[in-house]
Amino acid sequence: MRWVRPLYMALSALFIALPIVVVCASALNSGRAMLFPPEDPTLDRFLAFFVEEEIWVTALRHSIIIALGAAALATLMAWPIAYQIWKRKDGLSKLIAGLASLPFALPPIVFGVGLSFLWSFTTGLGEIWAGMVSHAAFFLALPLVIISIGLQSIDRAHLDAAATMGAGEAVTFRTLIFPQTLPYTASAFFFVLVLSFNEFIIMFFVSSAAYSTVTLQIFNSLRNGFTPTMAVGAITFILASVLVFALVARFGNLPKLLGADDSNAP
Amino acid sequence: MTVEASSLAPNGFRRLASRGLILALVLFLSVAPFLLVIAVSLGQKIEGGAWDWGLTFENYQRFFVGGDWPESWSPLHLQQLWYSLFYAIAASLLAVVTAFPFTWAMTQLSRRTQALWLIFFLTSLSLSEVFVAMGWDVLLSNRSGLPMLLREGGITQWLKEVGWFQTFRDWGLANPRDLRFKPTSFATILTMTYLVWPYAVILLYPALSRVDRSMLEAAATMGAKPTAVMLSIVLPLVRLSLIGTTLLLFVFLLGAYVVVAVFAEPAKQTLSIAIYETIHGLTLNAPFGAAQAILLLVAATLLLIIGTRLSRARRVGEG
Repeated sequence: MRWVRPLYMALSALFIALPIVVVCASALNSGRAMLFPPEDPTLDRFLAFFVEEEIWVTALRHSIIIALGAAALATLMAWPIAYQIWKRKDGLSKLIAGLASLPFALPPIVFGVGLSFLWSFTTGLGEIWAGMVSHAAFFLALPLVIISIGLQSIDRAHLDAAATMGAGEAVTFRTLIFPQTLPYTASAFFFVLVLSFNEFIIMFFVSSAAYSTVTLQIFNSLRNGFTPTMAVGAITFILASVLVFALVARFGNLPKLLGADDSNAP
Repeated sequence: MTVEASSLAPNGFRRLASRGLILALVLFLSVAPFLLVIAVSLGQKIEGGAWDWGLTFENYQRFFVGGDWPESWSPLHLQQLWYSLFYAIAASLLAVVTAFPFTWAMTQLSRRTQALWLIFFLTSLSLSEVFVAMGWDVLLSNRSGLPMLLREGGITQWLKEVGWFQTFRDWGLANPRDLRFKPTSFATILTMTYLVWPYAVILLYPALSRVDRSMLEAAATMGAKPTAVMLSIVLPLVRLSLIGTTLLLFVFLLGAYVVVAVFAEPAKQTLSIAIYETIHGLTLNAPFGAAQAILLLVAATLLLIIGTRLSRARRVGEG
């Protein structure tokens, strides 16, 4: 029965990879229909997506702006919260962290509805900056957890040494805490970046049809029938995700980030 | 001493002010939206797509009895809630049951290989619902997907000859001539399972990778069969993680939108679709949409409570 395990793993991988492969291959179609295997393969669709078709170029720009903004904002907001918990461990810090994780723990559609009300009262509905802030709030729990893991991994002996040698809080933070947790900060940033890029439902509510991101644009076209140009968007996104997560794995300890115990490594 | 004291006071004040600022920001961004949904759900729709604040439970009443009450009773909204729950429960259970053996096998590999698998899953997990729907739409489409493959491969013909084709028709998975997978509940649940499968692996991973290998070796040395080891050591150790994962996936799927919009039959749409339609669609009835969202939240919370109660009850029973 030795072959059962690898076979099951291979089948699972196939299950996960199949739709991705299909989407990628359909991008090569030359006609307007999504066929698999592609008919008369061509790379024209890539040109259309990145350069020629105005809607897709605009949508891609919006996606990038929102993802970068949301990732930066979420990481910036998560840092003081995570730092307070680590430093003080008091009730208020835990309360703040709990409240900040609320949107991630409840069905996203409810948060989307709430945000669309919030922005309609503060003139943000249909604005790009509101989309950015919405994503930062929605994903805040992720950098919070990742940075907390980073802070916990700092060796207490280093902190004691710094204190003994007379370093104040600011100096310790600048020379010890921040550099040691930099890989985690970077991982947090990239996680939010990729997830924001791919997020749909929150954007669906807060954009209020005033602008589109790539995912929104794809959903709109999806109702009018697929075109291969959409698949190019998918390929771009998949490649970007692979790249980002490969970077995270390369510079951070991915298994540990996801909760594995180092002492138990086979 | 005086210098120290005077420099400490503004520091303490600044710290308090900065924490107050963070608290205010979190309250505004993470908590206010939910409070607004509650507040709006008590309001009233007025003419022309606008609405007004209020303190009425009409919207909630409408959810349970329909808009024409008391003339007639319509279970439409309850039915949408039922489909939300049905799809989410079926897909989250299916995902955990199939992802568990995979994750267990994965934790037996070397750290390096594990990291590669994790990258693979994180990538597919980051993939938007929209792309997933797109991929499965092609895979299940009559022209170029699975039905075509089965037809060309002669499987459809074979099914007809042995008489199983009728069974597929009874399940709604075939039209008179061909197998047909969309729109069906089957396609909806399959795609939802796909959507959370990588999540299931990643959520089960910490608990499974922390299972102490020496315990398993000890059991194996003493003659326990792999099945016995699994049932008596591994499963009890990770039971809470299994239940927790299922519940998380369930909550996540409860709000699924794109997959339902693309794959579910029109008569079997969920509450998520209805919420968007009510707020931004034809009726522009924000208060009723908000009430629907609150009830979705309440249903999720109730099921979470029941789920955790069940897991706790069983633990007491075991003790």
